[in-house]
Amino acid sequence: MQARLEDQASTVPIRLYGLRRGTVVVVTGLCVLFSIFTLAPIAWIVINSTKTQANIFQSFGFWFARPFEFFHNFSLLFQDVDGQGTYIQWMGNTALYAVLGGVGATIFAALGGYGFARFDFRGSKTTFYVVLSALLVPVTAITLPLYLVYAKVGLINSIWGMVLPSMVSPVGVYLMSSFIKVSVPRELLDAARVDGAGEIRIFLKMAVPLMVPGLVTVLLISVVGVWNNYFLPLIIFSKSNLYPITVGLGNWSNRAQNGGSTQIFPLLVIGGLVTIIPLIAIFLIVQRYWKSGMLLGSVTG
Amino acid sequence: MTDLAMSPAAIGQEGSTAGRRSPSRKQRGALVRRREQKGVWFVLPFLVMFALFLITPLGYAMYTSLYTTKLVGGTSFSGFANYTQTFQSNEFWSGVVRVVAYAAVQIPVMLVIAFFFATMFDLGIARFGRLFRTIFFIPFAVPAVVGSVMWSFLLDPASGPFTQLAHAIGFSQADYFSSTLIVPTIVVIAIWEWTGYNMMILYTALKSVPREVVEAAVLDGASVWRVVLRIKLPMVRSVIVMLVFLNVIGASQLFTEPLILSYFQPQAISNYFTPTLYIYNIGIGGQQYNLAAAAAVVLGILVVAISVVSLTFRRRGEGLL
Repeated sequence: MQARLEDQASTVPIRLYGLRRGTVVVVTGLCVLFSIFTLAPIAWIVINSTKTQANIFQSFGFWFARPFEFFHNFSLLFQDVDGQGTYIQWMGNTALYAVLGGVGATIFAALGGYGFARFDFRGSKTTFYVVLSALLVPVTAITLPLYLVYAKVGLINSIWGMVLPSMVSPVGVYLMSSFIKVSVPRELLDAARVDGAGEIRIFLKMAVPLMVPGLVTVLLISVVGVWNNYFLPLIIFSKSNLYPITVGLGNWSNRAQNGGSTQIFPLLVIGGLVTIIPLIAIFLIVQRYWKSGMLLGSVTG
Repeated sequence: MTDLAMSPAAIGQEGSTAGRRSPSRKQRGALVRRREQKGVWFVLPFLVMFALFLITPLGYAMYTSLYTTKLVGGTSFSGFANYTQTFQSNEFWSGVVRVVAYAAVQIPVMLVIAFFFATMFDLGIARFGRLFRTIFFIPFAVPAVVGSVMWSFLLDPASGPFTQLAHAIGFSQADYFSSTLIVPTIVVIAIWEWTGYNMMILYTALKSVPREVVEAAVLDGASVWRVVLRIKLPMVRSVIVMLVFLNVIGASQLFTEPLILSYFQPQAISNYFTPTLYIYNIGIGGQQYNLAAAAAVVLGILVVAISVVSLTFRRRGEGLL
C-alpha cells in the first residue's frame, strides 16, 4: 500500500502530458500482449502437469484433458522411475548446495567487502581491481578448467566440488564493499577503537548489524545463482544421487528422447513445475524489497 | 583521514607507540598505518578461495593448453599447437559468429522492449503497472533448464501448440527448429527469460530521475516523447550501457538453452553450436582436455578484450558508476 502511494507521488499525472485517450489503451494492450507471451509457458506447464504422457502430445497444449493425473504425476517425484535418480533427492541436493554455497559466499563477501571498504592496507586497491576484473571472465571459461583441476585433486563427484566454488562471489564482495561505504560510518568504528575494542569485536558487534540489508542481498543472489547453476554440476557429477534439480531435469530431457521410461515426459513436466513454484513464490514476496543493485548482481551467477 | 598521508620517516616506527597517551603526529601515522594493515585479515579468507577456485583453474588451463596428450606416447609439451588448432577450427569460429549474431539481435531487441515498458510504467501511461511489472518479472525466477524444457515442448515441430498456431494462421511449413529459425528461436527464449529483469533495473533507474525536472519540461509544453528521449533516456544512459555490457558477457556463455533444446531436437543444434558447447563437447565428450583448455582460454580472452574495449569507450563517454 505504501509502495503504491510512493508510486503515485513520484509520477507526474498523465493528463499533464496531453495524451490522447487512445494512447493509454494501446499501451495497456501491449502490456497485455507481453503478459500473454510471458505467462504462456507457465500456464502450459501447470495444465500439462495434470496429463498422461499420451495426452501431453495428443491433446491441445493450452487446455486440460482427461484423465486428471496430477496426483499420480506428483507421486512419481518420490520414486526412482527411470533408474536415473529420484526428483525429491535432487531437490534436497539443490537446497543443500544452495544453502551451503550461499551462506559461505555471504560470509566471505562480508569479511572481504568490509576489509576492502574500511581498511587501506598495502595493495588494497590493486587487489580489489583484480577481484573486480574477475567479473569480466565468463564463468564457462573457468568451469572446464575447474573440472580439470578437480580431476587432479579428487573433487569429481564430491559435493565440495560444487559448494566451494559457489562460495567465491566477486560480485558479492563488490556489493558488500559499496554497501559498507554508504552505511557503516568510519567515525563509528574509530570511536569503538578509541574505546579499546578489538577489530573482530568491532566487526561483529558494530559493523555486521548495519550490514544486514546488504547481507540479505548477497545471500539471495548467491542462493539463486547456485539454484540455477547447470554447467558446473553437469560436468563434475556423474552419480545421479548427487545431481541438483537442473542436472536431473536435463538428464531426463536427454533420456526422454532416447527411450526412457514411458512416464518420463509427465515427470519432466511436473518436476519443472515443482522447481519453479517455490522460486516464483519467494520472488513475488521479496520483490518489493529488491533494489536495482541487488538485481544487477544476479546476471553473473 | 589526512593521517593516512604519512611521511616516509614514519615507516619503521610501527609498534613503538602502542599504549602512549598522546602520540606525536608521526607516531599517529604509524599507528593508523598499522591498524589499516589489519584489513588484510578480513580479505584473506576470500582471497584464498578466490585464488583456489578462480586463479588456479585459469592458471592450470593456460598451463595444460600448452601440452598434448596422445594415446600412445603420453603427454608432451606442444607449444601453441592447441591454440593453432583452435584458431583454425571452423567449428569454434562458426560458434563465435553464431553467438555474435545472436547477441547483435537479442540484446538490442530486448533492451528496446524493456526500456519501452519501463518508461510506460514510470510515466504511468500503462494501467495496472504494478501487476504487469510483477508478471514480466516472473521468468527471472525460472531456471534456464526449466525454461528451455517448457519452450522445447511449446515449439515442438509435431505437437507444440505454437507450431499448431503457426500452421493455423497459414505458415504450414513453420518449424522453429529449422536451420534458419533456430537462432531466432533461442533469441525469443532469451527475450522471454531476461526482458523483465532488464525492465526492472531500468524502471528503478528511471524512478530516480527527479520529478521536478520532468514537471518543468511538461509545463513548458514538452511532449511525452520529448520527455522520454531528451530527459529520461540521457539520465539512465549509464545504466543502459552497463546492461549492454552484462548482457554481452551473458551471451558469450550461451550454453544451457541450446544444450537442452538439442536433447529435444538433436538435428537442430550441433555439438559446436556455441563456443561453450564446443568447449563442453571437446573436453567432456571428446576428452581432449588440452584442446578444450586452449578454447576456454581463447573464449575468456575474447570476452575480456571486448569488455575492456567497451569499458574504455564508456569511460570516454561520460563515465559513471
